[in-house]
Amino acid sequence: MTTVTAPATTAGSSVPVVPGRAVTRLGVRQIRRGALIVVALAAGMTALVAATYDSIMADPAAAGSLQALAGNPAIRTLFGEPVALDTTGGFTVWRVGTVIAVLLGVWAILATTRITRGEEDAGRWDVLLSGRVTLRAAVIRHVAAVMTATVAAGGAVSVVLLLVGAPSAGALVHGAGVGLLGLYFVAVAALAGQVFPARAAATGTAVAVLGVGLLLRMVGDGIIDLGWLRWLSPFGLLALSSPFHQDRILPLLVLLAATALVTATAVGAAGHRDVRGGLVATSSGRQARLLLLGSVEAFAVRRLSRPWTGWALGIGAYYLLIGATAVSITEFLADNPALAGEAANAGFAELGAVEGFTATLFAILALPVGGFTAVRMGAFITAETDRQMTLLSAQPVSRLRLLGAELLATAAGAVALATVAGALTWAGVAAVSGRLGLLAAAQGAWNILPIVLLSLAAAALAAGWAPRATAVAGALPATGGFLLLVIGESVDAPGWVRNLSPFAHLAPVPLHTVDWPATLMMTGIAGAMIAAAMIGYQRRDLRS
Amino acid sequence: MNSDFALRTAGLTKRYGRLTALDDLTLEVCAGEVFGFLGPNGAGKSTTIRLLLGLARPTAGQAWVFGVGAADVARAHRLLAYVPADVALWPQLTGAEILHLQASTGPGVDYAYQAELVERFELDLSKPARTYSTGNRQKVALVAAFATRAPLLVLDEPTSGLDPLMERVFRTAVAAARDRGQTVFLSSHQLAEVEAVCDRVAILRAGRLIQVAPIGELRGLHRSEVTLTYTGQPPNLDTIAGVQDVRQPGEGRLRFTLTGPPGPALTALADADITALAVREPSLEEIFLDYYGTEAVR
Repeated sequence: MTTVTAPATTAGSSVPVVPGRAVTRLGVRQIRRGALIVVALAAGMTALVAATYDSIMADPAAAGSLQALAGNPAIRTLFGEPVALDTTGGFTVWRVGTVIAVLLGVWAILATTRITRGEEDAGRWDVLLSGRVTLRAAVIRHVAAVMTATVAAGGAVSVVLLLVGAPSAGALVHGAGVGLLGLYFVAVAALAGQVFPARAAATGTAVAVLGVGLLLRMVGDGIIDLGWLRWLSPFGLLALSSPFHQDRILPLLVLLAATALVTATAVGAAGHRDVRGGLVATSSGRQARLLLLGSVEAFAVRRLSRPWTGWALGIGAYYLLIGATAVSITEFLADNPALAGEAANAGFAELGAVEGFTATLFAILALPVGGFTAVRMGAFITAETDRQMTLLSAQPVSRLRLLGAELLATAAGAVALATVAGALTWAGVAAVSGRLGLLAAAQGAWNILPIVLLSLAAAALAAGWAPRATAVAGALPATGGFLLLVIGESVDAPGWVRNLSPFAHLAPVPLHTVDWPATLMMTGIAGAMIAAAMIGYQRRDLRS
Repeated sequence: MNSDFALRTAGLTKRYGRLTALDDLTLEVCAGEVFGFLGPNGAGKSTTIRLLLGLARPTAGQAWVFGVGAADVARAHRLLAYVPADVALWPQLTGAEILHLQASTGPGVDYAYQAELVERFELDLSKPARTYSTGNRQKVALVAAFATRAPLLVLDEPTSGLDPLMERVFRTAVAAARDRGQTVFLSSHQLAEVEAVCDRVAILRAGRLIQVAPIGELRGLHRSEVTLTYTGQPPNLDTIAGVQDVRQPGEGRLRFTLTGPPGPALTALADADITALAVREPSLEEIFLDYYGTEAVR
């Protein structure tokens, strides 16, 4: 009997002992920049807020306005239920905990679907998996890379809290909670990436899970009878762990168990599917749908329509909730004149009226709608980089028209999103027999459009001159501007610094009338940026 | 038509930092001809096409499509259709939807011919592009381009993903385009393809144009290879004009290359006792090797 031996590898070639390590390195390479930014942001924001605590508390007036601020429903919905505000740690957790958790969750989802399903979708895993690595191993190693980053973010938060002298139990509970929440969303995104054969569907589903989790926490925080809902939401579990107050471990164990379950399901699913396939099969054929394929403008609208629906659902649900709770919260404030007075001192005048309450909440509408424009322009550049735009660019269509069509469609989508938010706020108020005019609600929502236009213009400017920075640039005016104002107020920054934020120039509509000079100014700046964007986009080489 | 030349470039140059991708390309493609653009990978073929289409801006020089500046894409692209080297399609659209999008944004389509092409390329248009193989994506782009009435077709390595049967369909389509008076600019590193369909060929290497010649002339410029068997004394070819590289591959066999008119060599051979004689025309592959040297051909 003869023994068949495997052919020896070519002399002189080096074969890595563990081929998977190369895959891990690949995963790490693809996320390291984003991971560094997220960890730095988590640590930096925590440090910044913790550092300002003593100075704020030293001033009794500031401490009073802080209490009023904590009572402001807009801030409460955004930042969560304030507990243990009288400690550095408690204050920091309340002030930036939710923001960091959302930031980390969203990054975890985007990074995970990008380097797993996105790479597979683009065909780059075909080569990768022709080597010695199995699909399941590749998924595990990529997911592990993102998970490491989220654990690092949680660890960084803990370390910062310990360094500023917060009690170690609370610091560890909060850091662990933040890290676990990141792990959970990596797992959710990984599972979505196994179920759906397209990156957009996977990302959309995972973001929807995040959105629902956030809404459950808000409802659970807002309505005491529904407080148990928070056990169903990762954000709710984070709140239930109550760092620096009760330091409960059980909610974190629940989150850990959920994460382990979802991760195991994702890894199991990866072993039961084809490369480039999902658990949900793509339809093998269908009737042609020729609607909105007649021109580049129509096609821009068509590409927008599906993601727009997702954004509209998320934003709509949030503002319907705001509308529905507006009456009870404003009545509560109206019944507590002392509280309302303090809120007025803190700059939140007439929160006792529905108009005042909705006006403060419409201001933060600029964040998701501005984000929408940044993400859409980012997708436009991705289509160019992935060469899907090449065939259209070779048609008798000027570059001006290509970019113009995209900007028009995105701007129209943003206006429609704001309109949806306004209409659903009105519907929510009307459902509980409150009084808010439909036009007033719409005006409040439309009032933020100059900031959204600035976001779109900044993204376009980057698309024209520095396409790689498109999504980041688009996030600057809304998200960056909001953070600048919040941080600027926290550290009592000079007026001109705060005035750099477009939010500093936003009138509270529908409580007051629109600040037309500021609105026209912002629109004018956006217009100039778009003109510059057009010049750059016409001149540069297309990326492909 | 604005110009006798379908395509014209003057001193076209593209640099990426210190790398010169295309160096001073001056080229004229006549209206109505099938023009081959040959070169190995990385020679600058795709860069040239991106400049011709205005997808990239030249560092120096200019390009025109039927006299219209390449930068004026809205006008220039009314006169051309393009098939990229590596076709990427919108993954969520079906083949039919992509053809519709291309038709409604393009320079005009012959729908009857489009239907005929879909049938000949055996393309299933009901599938989403996500599920298409490389070859099928290429077919969608080819059908879209061939079905236009654009006077110029710019095809960048269009058959790299097609099987031999589909390559034949492609060649038929190129011939039909020529018959309709369309100009075809065909970039390729497949010599057989260029040999089969092109009237003239430009050869590009490392960003530089090496030669432009009609297919026939390109061959005539180069040698024939003569192999013969003989009995008795070997023929004496040492001083014969045009004979080079005389070798003896075996007992009673002789091989040499011949350039120019064959008269003197035939006279010399008449004195010997030749039992068999074979003359072979070099393939473009060998002409290629002559230009590039072996190390440059991948």
